[in-house]
This record gives sequence, structure tokens and C-alpha cells, in this order.
Amino acid sequence: MLRPEQTPAEFLPLPPAQFHVLAALGGGEMHGYVIMEAVEELSGGLVRMGPATLYGTLKKLVERSLVVEVPGRQEPSDDARRRYYRLSGIGREVCAAEADRLAHLAARTHRNLRPGLA
Amino acid sequence: MSNGLSLYSALTRLYPAEFRREFGSDLVQNFDDLSQARGPSAAWCRVALDLLVTVPRYRLESVMSTRSSSFTLLFGPIALAVAGAASILTGIVPIAGLVLVLAGVGLLGARRSNIARSLRTHTPDRNVRRQRLLISAASAVVCVVSLIGYMNYVGGDDVNGGVLLAYNAVGVPSMIAAVAFLIAGLLVPRRQTATS
Repeated sequence: MLRPEQTPAEFLPLPPAQFHVLAALGGGEMHGYVIMEAVEELSGGLVRMGPATLYGTLKKLVERSLVVEVPGRQEPSDDARRRYYRLSGIGREVCAAEADRLAHLAARTHRNLRPGLA
Repeated sequence: MSNGLSLYSALTRLYPAEFRREFGSDLVQNFDDLSQARGPSAAWCRVALDLLVTVPRYRLESVMSTRSSSFTLLFGPIALAVAGAASILTGIVPIAGLVLVLAGVGLLGARRSNIARSLRTHTPDRNVRRQRLLISAASAVVCVVSLIGYMNYVGGDDVNGGVLLAYNAVGVPSMIAAVAFLIAGLLVPRRQTATS
């Protein structure tokens, strides 16, 4: 459950699985299998989540109020059992903050690895 | 339902009941989607690894989050201390040792859940600090009592290895628990804002 005073920085660093799911949900509302495919596509095929990993991660994200289940959302072709998820407001901020943190880390790493710097 | 789907559905029973109730049908639906999109072999490759990794993990998480009453948390260490004191005062060491071991097992369960709860707590309880310090104090009492008992016993004529082991089995974990809970208690700020 989210505390009112919690800021995005308090959630960082995110576990990789949680960040991948948040990043995938940045593309909009999705159900489990679509999230799984989006994670694989985002990671260039490197991260292939299994169903239980995915739903375990979604459970944690929902508990942390970073993701919310979308009530009553069904596509005409969908099985009635499908559940859709989307980013919450704080989830979007946390995802952006984690992306910034990783970008900063990557930039620093590249600088450190430049030839001539010992 | 195909054989593969039935088998996977049966395998999901390996997960903790709470997780299965919440996501059981989603898991099966997801496996069905995977099988249709990528074929049964690819689906099984993915879920086999997933099962191997997540079943023990979620089982462990489930055990770690088992609810334990405050009564057990508070009175477990006290019962252990009383049992230790009884072993010294009455001299009935083997029976008291057995009581200590049984009390220790109960205490381990209570502490385990307490550790789990403290790790999982995102909304700090104002009583957490006091509770941890209290458990630390009780563990220290158990440790001191078992140490005194150990010293007395070692000083005697008839020394049995099993009894020594029993004293160690109580003394060492209680010492570790006393230090761990003291640190955990001191890490909780004195004044915390009330949270909803």
C-alpha cells in the first residue's frame, strides 16, 4: 500500500523484473501475455519471463501501488478471465526515475571505460 | 482442455494456495496463449524453468509471511527462559533440554515470521521498535540463562555431550537473535509518522 508521503526515489533501485514490467506497461493497458511479449521485445529477447514470474512481479507491483488492475476491461475477442493492468501515477514516475538512474549509470560507465582513463 | 494444459494446471498446485487462488487461472491462460503462439515445446521450455525457480521461491515467501500472534512472539522467549531456569533449578537437565528444544522450535517460527514481517513492512508500525527491543531483551535473558546452565553443567562431574549440545543449541541462536533484534530495533526511528 502506498503511503501518502512516498516519493519515486524511495522505490529505487527497482528489481529488474519489476522495471521491465513497468517499462512494458508504459505502452498502455495490457493483459498478462501481452506484457510478457512486450518485456521480451523491449529487452531484445534477453528477458523471457515465465507466467509465474510475471504474475508474482505484478502482484508485488500492485501491492506497492505502482500498477493497478483495470476493472471491467475486456476486448471483444478476449476470454472473460483476462485481467488488464496499467501503470498508476506513481508507477509512471517511478519507472521514469529508474530509467533516469540507469541512463546516468550507463553514461558514467561509458565515461569510465573510455581509453586513456585509468 | 488439452493434455499439456491439464498437466500445467495440475503443476500450478505446487504454488502456495494464496498465489494459486489469485493467479491460478491467469497462469493457465498464459500457458495456453504461449502454447498457441509458440508451440507446446517452447511453452514447456519456458514454464519448466519458471516452475523450478518460482515454486521454491514463492513457497519460501509464503512461509516467511505466515501470520504469528503477538502472544507467541512475546511469550515464546519467556517460555524458553523459564524452561532454561527450570533446568538449572531442578537439575532435570535432559527433560528441560527437551522442553527447551520444543520451545526453541516454536520461537523460531515466531521469529521467522517477525523477521519476514519486518522485511516486508512498507508502512512502519509505531510499536515495531518496542517489540523488537523486547524480543532482544527476552533473547538475551534466554542466552544468559543457558550460559549459566552450561557453565554449571560443565563444572559438574558427569558431563554428557548431548546435554552440552542442547545448551549450545539454545544459547547460540538466542545470542544471535538478541543482537539481531537489538540492531533491528535500534534502526527503527523513535518517532514515526502515523500512516494510513
